[in-house]
Amino acid sequence: MSDILAELSTAVIEGNVDDMADLTEDALDEDFSAQDILDKGLMPGMDHVGVEFKAGNMFVPEVLRSARAMHNSMDLIRPLLAESGASMTGKMIIGTVKGDLHDIGKNLVGMMCEGAGFEVEDIGKNIEPEAFVEAVKKYEPNIIGMSALLTTTMRSMEHTIKALEEAGLRDKVKVIIGGAPVTQTFSDQIGADGYASNAASAAELAKSFVN
Amino acid sequence: MSDIYERLATGILEGEAEKITKLVNRGLKKGLSAKELLDNGLIVGMDEVGVRFKRGDMFVPEVLMSADSMAAGMTILRPILIESGAEMLGKIVMGTVKGDLHDIGKNLVSMMCEGAGFEIVNLGFNVDPETFIEAIKEHQPAIVGMSAMLTTTMRAMGHTIKALEEAGLRDQVKVMVGGAPVDKEFSDAIGSDGYGSNAPSGAELAKQLVSAA
Amino acid sequence: MRGNYKVNSGTRFRMLSDDQLEELLGGVLHLLEYTGLEVHHEESLEILKKAGAWVDGKRVRIPSYLVRKSLELAPRSFTIFSRDGNSENDIIIGPGRAHFGPGPTCPNFIDIESMDRRPYVKSDVPNVAKMVDALPNIDFCESLGTVDDVHHDLGALYEFAGMFPNTSKPIVAWSYDKDDSAGIHEIAIAEAGGQDAFEKRPNYVHYCEPLSPLISTGEALDKLIFAATNRIPLIFTPCPIAGGTAPVTAAGIITQGAAESWMGLVIAQAIQPGLPFFMGGVFSVMDMSAMILSYGAPELSLMMAGLTDLAHYVGLPLWQTGGCTDSKTFDEQAIIEGSLSVFFSALSGGDMTHDVGYTESAMTGSVFQLCAMDEAIGYSRRITHGIEVTEETLAVKVIDNVGPNGHYLREQHTRDHYKTEYWYPNLCNRRNYEEWEEDGKKTMKDRTVARVHEILATHKPTPIKPETEEVIKKVLAEAEERVKED
Repeated sequence: MSDILAELSTAVIEGNVDDMADLTEDALDEDFSAQDILDKGLMPGMDHVGVEFKAGNMFVPEVLRSARAMHNSMDLIRPLLAESGASMTGKMIIGTVKGDLHDIGKNLVGMMCEGAGFEVEDIGKNIEPEAFVEAVKKYEPNIIGMSALLTTTMRSMEHTIKALEEAGLRDKVKVIIGGAPVTQTFSDQIGADGYASNAASAAELAKSFVN
Repeated sequence: MSDIYERLATGILEGEAEKITKLVNRGLKKGLSAKELLDNGLIVGMDEVGVRFKRGDMFVPEVLMSADSMAAGMTILRPILIESGAEMLGKIVMGTVKGDLHDIGKNLVSMMCEGAGFEIVNLGFNVDPETFIEAIKEHQPAIVGMSAMLTTTMRAMGHTIKALEEAGLRDQVKVMVGGAPVDKEFSDAIGSDGYGSNAPSGAELAKQLVSAA
Repeated sequence: MRGNYKVNSGTRFRMLSDDQLEELLGGVLHLLEYTGLEVHHEESLEILKKAGAWVDGKRVRIPSYLVRKSLELAPRSFTIFSRDGNSENDIIIGPGRAHFGPGPTCPNFIDIESMDRRPYVKSDVPNVAKMVDALPNIDFCESLGTVDDVHHDLGALYEFAGMFPNTSKPIVAWSYDKDDSAGIHEIAIAEAGGQDAFEKRPNYVHYCEPLSPLISTGEALDKLIFAATNRIPLIFTPCPIAGGTAPVTAAGIITQGAAESWMGLVIAQAIQPGLPFFMGGVFSVMDMSAMILSYGAPELSLMMAGLTDLAHYVGLPLWQTGGCTDSKTFDEQAIIEGSLSVFFSALSGGDMTHDVGYTESAMTGSVFQLCAMDEAIGYSRRITHGIEVTEETLAVKVIDNVGPNGHYLREQHTRDHYKTEYWYPNLCNRRNYEEWEEDGKKTMKDRTVARVHEILATHKPTPIKPETEEVIKKVLAEAEERVKED
């Protein structure tokens, strides 16, 4: 593998957020395609991070740093990838559902998914079903991620899925859900496409829908 | 008259040595035999002590009080019993072996055995084989009990048994051993007659050894 | 700007007030001066007499001025060095520092493969030492057993010979007699580079014990004199049993036990002024029902904490006890008793806490218990590390930056501190249910067993010098020759 792509991998693993733009430019100057940079530079780095995180050798702040590094490079290559019609990992919108002000879990999922190569649109917390519907129309994502931390607010996930059906958008997106009280059974009951028990597995789940 | 037996047993159970002395003397005065006082009173009490200790309802200091009471009663009864030719549990010569200054475990076993009705000759600690031999010659015990707390000194138990053999005394006595590092295997290896893992089982063992003899 | 950064104090626990300690000290001095102790050792009697003690046959009484002088001569702070120069493994004795390690002389061992109880054998020694070497919270080494499959006089020597090459953490060496001690010392100074080098950087500690109540045996004093003469840091530690060989009350056992230790202190300081000296021991209760010396009783921790306070009050380091249990096996009882006593030892700040890994009331050594206790010690150390309060840790600016509704995961402040502010478990599982399920629903016991096996399969201690290996062979051969003559 070329040195510059290996350097990109290492920079992602080490979370060198400030070097990413330069390294990405260098790689492009060396005539690597945006697709090469993504597939052979950034992704192997993030894959390594995923493995190390799961093994308990890397910690959340480090993983987020890596995700941010990845993100910085993606900002540069995303337009090129779109131009060349190359396959992108995909677009996601995420939000905490209506009545729920919990933010950090959803933020974590967003950052992890960004690290996995997604373009993530965080539409915030206390999001009404109608607002999710509007966001789907506006951003045309592959995936919607919904979060709820309370047993009282998790029912709002079901309302959102109903709203998507009524708007005729349900088939256009995959719906993934998460949050402390959420279970696989609940996910099945309300007709979501998947449930993840933590941020890292949410990113895994999201990837499994676009690949 | 069953009343005095009950009071003797209760006296033992509650560890009241003075009361036992009084009751035994009173019983003898009323014409009860030493054997009856022992079998129907004192031993009934000690048996109950054993049961309660094993169940965790009595604790060592209480058991020792009971044993002391038993000993107080026996002090009076023993000469009478011997005179009448009754079968006695006999004597135990007890000591911590040569090189070992640990005392308390051996004393505990002694007290428990006393409680079981034995007469104890306590030779103390750091007892060399020759002293054991002299004590056997002098006291004619049924049993010799040896204790050691150290892996280094436990070998002295084997030496003592050899010395008994050489003095031609081995067949006269049963030998029992105990102490933290001692186990059944070691006891068998040195040719002892038995091993007790704690003080009450030492007393049980002593009783078994004399009944088997 | 804040300016009060002067006081640095971890979380420590004090059992006794200064007034209570002054009373205890008075009790010990009274006991030494008026009751005295029995000393079964001619040479020691001579030394004591010369130092100013009153000797009457075997009974020795020590005037309080002599005790106070000896206390003053012994250092409160000193260092025991790793044999390989790795300063990470040095033990720095001093206020506010607590160290942990296993104990010696259990007759039995929990087999590493079958987990059954069986006699402790020679081949167990290197495994215990490797575990000590690898576990991050275990600081010094003892063998957890008495070797059963060598000549019964040579157990201690074979233990040291087995431990020394397999850990560079300092060893606490016990021995049967001064011949053992001489052999052990020969090995240690070979690695240190001679007696002079050893005296500058001692790489092991010598352990011996008087008998309760109030007796010092010939062997113990032989060894004490050997250690003092050769300037080997010394532990002189009784094992009084409350209600049996010592008063049933905590204050009573502390008073008697301290007197037993200080008899050794006076002799040691008379021979070698300034010799590093630990008072100690194992102070616990005789269970009046089970008739054992309890290693899992709360009174053990309580008495040891009181003794720690007394030791520190008079300026001596303490040989503490913890991480042990009365449980017969590696179960919930073992973890509860072990963890609580470890935590208490850490809180009381006992300088060297031994018997970590004892099960069955010191009858059986277990590296599984040792490994689990490593976790409990790590946990305890995080707590005793305390809360640091500075401008940086107050984080007022950081809070202001993040503001309402923000989060701290991306903050430089988080990245700077999350590793030092948190302790991460090696064995305790914090993953969620699904991950735990996916990983085979392993219990604490499963994970401990796996860690023991992993360490023993992979850990490589720093080797000793080739010339030291030769000395070990020579010392063992000479010892075998010596016992053959018997």
